[in-house]
Amino acid sequence: MSYSPLVSRLVDALRCLPGVGPKSAQRMAFHLLERDRDGARALADALLQAVERVGHCESCRMLTEETRCWICKGSSRDSSMLCVVETPADVMAVEQSAGYSGLYFVLMGHLSPLDGVGPDQLGIDLLEQRLDDGSVKEVILATNPTVEGEATAHYISELAGRRGIRSTRIAHGVPVGGELEFVDGGTLSHALAGRHTME
Amino acid sequence: MRQGQVLQTPAFILHRQPYRDTSQIIEVFSQEQGRLGLVARGSRRPKSRLRSVLQPFSELLLSWSGRGDLKTLTDAESAAALMSLTGDRLFSGFYLNELLLRLLQRQDPHPELYTHYRQTLASLALGRHVGWSLRLFESALLEGLGYGLNLACEIHGGEVLDPDGLYEYRIHEGPTLARPEQSQGLLVHGRSLLALAGAGDAPDDTCQRELKRVLRVSLDALLGDRPLKTRQVLSSMKH
Repeated sequence: MSYSPLVSRLVDALRCLPGVGPKSAQRMAFHLLERDRDGARALADALLQAVERVGHCESCRMLTEETRCWICKGSSRDSSMLCVVETPADVMAVEQSAGYSGLYFVLMGHLSPLDGVGPDQLGIDLLEQRLDDGSVKEVILATNPTVEGEATAHYISELAGRRGIRSTRIAHGVPVGGELEFVDGGTLSHALAGRHTME
Repeated sequence: MRQGQVLQTPAFILHRQPYRDTSQIIEVFSQEQGRLGLVARGSRRPKSRLRSVLQPFSELLLSWSGRGDLKTLTDAESAAALMSLTGDRLFSGFYLNELLLRLLQRQDPHPELYTHYRQTLASLALGRHVGWSLRLFESALLEGLGYGLNLACEIHGGEVLDPDGLYEYRIHEGPTLARPEQSQGLLVHGRSLLALAGAGDAPDDTCQRELKRVLRVSLDALLGDRPLKTRQVLSSMKH
């Protein structure tokens, strides 16, 4: 059994979303067509606008439809601190949590030599320009604690070191409210290696 | 026990790539079965226990089942305390992994090479004689693949190598005495080849440079016309 061409085109199109298989796509398509045509129109319009107009911020590579994103434009941000993260989702995670008031740089990935992802794909030349302009005093390396994230952090710390800029790596360790017994060995050994003096 | 089930086998992860929404396909180098492709279902879920375990460069105990080319990972745990690579040495680790990925066939066991790989990672982690460990590993890899270097005698006369003699190394053949004042070809001293054969302490820088070239050309002959990506990325990182 097959749908009419337009319906089946919609179902197929919805499957490009992560986590959406044939069944969910069909459910979404029917919901939009039967119950929520206004929602569907709004969705289509929002998608089209976003796809046409959203690009990358010229100074931090965050997703935005303007030339500079709202964080880079904000006058209250501390421009001496630069937090380097892998994805736009990481920016939102840091923004929503700890009171960080500096600026960001979004790599849109990490160094992955086996996949051929090198400095050119991560906008490292733009990052170097930011480091060269003299306002950054500290680079906070908030790439993920995977081997690729560590390699990326190491590479950027060398770039910063050559310019005499301090670089710091976010701590990895036991989650708040966690119990040592259930923490995996790798995390626990990082936590022990990164212990600090009680004050 | 299910058919094709393997339990708690020592292995290292060479490479991971995302598969579907929450899974990944991992390429591993196992002690008993050599290189393998495994599907780690659900290992990219936010709360998956496997996320922190399935990392390259530390030895794991893996269990899997299945008979096809891609098997299904059923369990994974760390085998030893984390001896993690840091800094530049991570890139050497990526290089080793790419060599294994490119040159080993799936399900072709190489237990000796496995042991050598583990030792090489350990010396990388300690940061001792990094370059020399890489050379010894490259040589062991060629040996394991059946393309080992001829490190014993001169190919024409069959004479034992003279430590002070200068040789031209011919790929797939071996060393032949260099003509006086020869400057072309892969020139290498007898003592360099003997040091590689002895696998002892690191020789001087000249020897290491000569061996690096010989090994690189030998590996390139096996890699064909597709260059190593780690080398390209590393060269784009040097300013």
